[in-house]
Amino acid sequence: MASVEFKNIVKRFKENTVLNGVNVNIKDKEFLVIVGPSGCGKSTLLRMLAGLETVTDGDILIDGERVNEYHPSKRNIAMVFQDYALYPHMTVAENMSFSLKLKKTPPEEIEARVKEAAATLQITQYLARKPQALSGGQRQRVAIGRAIVRKPKVFLFDEPLSNLDAKLREEMRVEIAKLHQRLNATILYVTHDQVEAMTLADRIVIMYNGKVQQEGTPMEVYSKPENLFVAGFIGSPTMNFLRGKASVKAGKAEFTSKDIKIALPASLIDIKALKDGQEIVVGVRPDDISVDVPAKDSLTENIEGKIDVSELLGHRENLYIYIGDTRVLANTDAIGREPGSKVKLRFNYANMHVFDKETEKRISK
Amino acid sequence: MIDPKKTYAMTPEELSEKYESTKESLDQLRGMLMPFLKSQYEKNRKALERKEKIKKLLIHLVIICCCFICIYPLLRIFSISLRPGDKLFSTDLSLIPDGATFSAYASLLKNTNFLRWLWNSLVITVATSFIGVSLASTAAYAFSRFRFPGKKIGMILLLSSQMIPAGMLILPLFLMIMKMNLMNSYLGMIIAYSVSSLPFSIWILKGYYDTIPRSLEEAALVDGTSEVEAFWRIILPLSTPALSIAFLFNFTTAWNEYLVARVVLFSSQQYTWTLGLFELQGQYLTQWGMFAAGSMLVTIPVLIVFLYSSKWLISGLTLGSVKG
Amino acid sequence: MELLKSLYEVGWFLLLIIAGVAALEGYFYVHFKFYDKKWFFPALLLIVPAACWGIFGNMLGGHTVALWLYFFLAEGLIALFFRHIVRGQHTVPYMLIAPAFIGLALLLVYPFVFEFYLSFHDLKLTTIMAWKETGQIPFVWFKQYVNVFTTSPLNDVSIWMLLWRTFLWTFTNVFFHVLGGFALALLLNNNIKGKGIYRTLLVIPWAMPQVVAVLAMRGEFHAENGFVNILLSRLAEWWPALANMGIGPVQWLSNYPLTTCTIINVWLGIPFMMVVILGGLQSISKSYYDAADIDGATYFQKLRYITLPLVKPVAMPAITLGTIWTFNNINVIYLVTGQAGGTEKADILVSAMYKAAFTYNRYSYSAAFAIVIFILLFSISVFYLHGLDAAKED
Repeated sequence: MASVEFKNIVKRFKENTVLNGVNVNIKDKEFLVIVGPSGCGKSTLLRMLAGLETVTDGDILIDGERVNEYHPSKRNIAMVFQDYALYPHMTVAENMSFSLKLKKTPPEEIEARVKEAAATLQITQYLARKPQALSGGQRQRVAIGRAIVRKPKVFLFDEPLSNLDAKLREEMRVEIAKLHQRLNATILYVTHDQVEAMTLADRIVIMYNGKVQQEGTPMEVYSKPENLFVAGFIGSPTMNFLRGKASVKAGKAEFTSKDIKIALPASLIDIKALKDGQEIVVGVRPDDISVDVPAKDSLTENIEGKIDVSELLGHRENLYIYIGDTRVLANTDAIGREPGSKVKLRFNYANMHVFDKETEKRISK
Repeated sequence: MIDPKKTYAMTPEELSEKYESTKESLDQLRGMLMPFLKSQYEKNRKALERKEKIKKLLIHLVIICCCFICIYPLLRIFSISLRPGDKLFSTDLSLIPDGATFSAYASLLKNTNFLRWLWNSLVITVATSFIGVSLASTAAYAFSRFRFPGKKIGMILLLSSQMIPAGMLILPLFLMIMKMNLMNSYLGMIIAYSVSSLPFSIWILKGYYDTIPRSLEEAALVDGTSEVEAFWRIILPLSTPALSIAFLFNFTTAWNEYLVARVVLFSSQQYTWTLGLFELQGQYLTQWGMFAAGSMLVTIPVLIVFLYSSKWLISGLTLGSVKG
Repeated sequence: MELLKSLYEVGWFLLLIIAGVAALEGYFYVHFKFYDKKWFFPALLLIVPAACWGIFGNMLGGHTVALWLYFFLAEGLIALFFRHIVRGQHTVPYMLIAPAFIGLALLLVYPFVFEFYLSFHDLKLTTIMAWKETGQIPFVWFKQYVNVFTTSPLNDVSIWMLLWRTFLWTFTNVFFHVLGGFALALLLNNNIKGKGIYRTLLVIPWAMPQVVAVLAMRGEFHAENGFVNILLSRLAEWWPALANMGIGPVQWLSNYPLTTCTIINVWLGIPFMMVVILGGLQSISKSYYDAADIDGATYFQKLRYITLPLVKPVAMPAITLGTIWTFNNINVIYLVTGQAGGTEKADILVSAMYKAAFTYNRYSYSAAFAIVIFILLFSISVFYLHGLDAAKED
């Protein structure tokens, strides 16, 4: 198994800069997920590692060896494509053994490896079929099988689940997680779905506009988003953002907007670093807004609001609440609150995030 | 549902009774109205159906007439090929003539070089198609998959080369072949034919390659093939339908060609079948039956191949023409 | 035995072609791959000119020093080009298109240029042997072009007459092709039984080898034994009134050759149009017609406002192509009138060009004639495409 290093990677298509100085390390046996909206350059980065795109500037290292100019076949990687890319004129078994045949592996070993992979993925009964005769989920398994028979240094997954329907996607997600445990392999996985990223990854890299926005374990990026983009991208439903100004008076800080005033305690933010009148954004996740609860040190003062829409989700409900003209979303236990009724909200300080509006960087602790 | 807490105007028994009586009177009304409505409906439907039937009948009639016009010359040829030698020039219009014989076929095979002509055509055509398709398949791949300077100009050149009237090139080709001392030879013919269908073949094949997802080759590259191997082992086997269309197109073009053959080949031994038939038909008074027999022999296989592949061929043609 | 010989001959030729392509690819490969090596220039300049000189010397007028110098210069330029401009980029695509484009250059572009060269010289029956031996032909400036407009390409017909016939021929043919094709396509597009069989039968004129189709039709126009005249004479017998009106057997081939050719070509060309237009009709969603029915459109309104505009994008390219094909159609006219002593009253520009070269052996004259036709066709096309673009912008 192997480690991978991207050093200062730059990719330009003519005038267009797709990647702008990307540094990412993948440790041995690590499951690294790169996540970001479409067009952020995540797929380009993966395809560069596969050798399917040229590198404009920077170095790619596999096990410390620079592979920039290596042909894809010489990099010892395996890739699972978004559309599976199974060869339509070959059977499942032929698809899986193609790379081994090219490497002139002895037939007995090919057969053994294909059988083993097929057993792992429960596709043994389809080995003689052509890909057209398989369902989407089965094709996905074959595509993964084709990758694992090769025993490569690194597995690359390029949005492998995006062509499946919701239920199958969940199943395959679990499947891939199990596979990682069993294979104990280095995996680079690219997706635009933050749920996949959160559930699968050892570590997540969030990319936007050709740059790495944040790198860390799923918990880190969830609980301490480094900037507004990450805060908005990770977590579902999306974090509420309140825009306003900081006012610092006599060692006490306060967030003020037209509709809302919230005290910012020292546990949340370094008050000395805050300027009076600085434009800031306060972020709070829907789960961290409590409705009609008694006062507690960890919560804010009551904020008055009026329910606009309530969506019942079963044992939870989504409440869209107007505070003056500002609308926030709260996710609470379902007790059947009626639209139009007045409520009192408290935000949870422990999971509140403060960002500078100008730099969009996190300024809370 | 009956809510026991509420009070109703009628008891359930009264309700069901009322329901029954209303239903009865409604049924009576329907019984009175239905026959009338049905007859009206039937009348309208019949009128419509009759109109539709007449319309369809007319359409069938017109189409059958057209079909008849389309195939009549072929039937006539067939009928003439069966005529006994002394009745060749009767004004008889029946399909199977009196005293039908296969003597024209026999004498065609015995007294002329017909088989030799077919063989010549076959050799020239197969060689031409082979060269044409191999050149087109690789060039089309480059145009479909790679970005390189001059790609656009190349495509435009390819299309505009179709603007050069084919008839215009016969003379220079003839002179070139003469200069190379290849007159009256297969090689001269193959050289003259080999690129004539190339632009069209490249166009068709490029269109087909474009529909094959690029990720297939990328998968092959990752699996360990070179670019050329990915083309050879993945794309070519997948493109057999388009390759057969291109082959067929090259084949029919060369197989039916007459004008170049007419000036390059001059000995009866080397004739292609088109030249041979033209000669037989020219001697109208003496060889009419043999001409008819020969026509039948070359037409039937061509028709079978064409009709068998027409779906592909037509889709290929319309694809090319719509895009062009 | 002879069959084997012919196979041997062709097999040998194919091998030669494969070897040629391989040599060519090898040549390019060396240029792409080793452009930055030290030995690149010396090795290539030593080997390539010598090899070309050895192989092609005989074909290009003997092994002279001048020829070697040409090769040397050419290779030098090519090597410089590869070293400083191409620099080993895009190796694969260029190597893939090289054989096809060299083939096209040799057998399509070169003949075209050669035609141009011919048109300024005087190659005819009396000078062709000298040209074949030595490659020399007299240079005559624009004399051939003057001849094109002042003398007859055939026995006795002016270029203006031919031009008129060509336009008449092209217009009537395309008109009937489109009309007939459209009508048949409309009929076939109904929901009727046996559609597949009808379609198959209707494309037979197109599917038949053209030589057979035209020659067979030519037989049907024979004055005594052709079906057309038999039918006409029987009609005249049944209805004397028709005979009184002058309808009866006609000497088609000698008196009305252009009409005959037109009828034959219309018969040949309708199926192609029908197939293309039928494809267009079938791609029109039925919901448009349902919507029009609800709006209360009549059959002809639907035809005018739905069918025609929606079929147009499919039909226009086919009509454009069909026009060019008809304009350039030598086959039908030559097959009908090309026999020794055949009439020249049906000839259009292209068939006259063909006959001028191969019946009258006036090669250079025919070349100049071809250039004139090409310029004519080219300017019409440019004009037409320009008009089409303007129409699109409206």
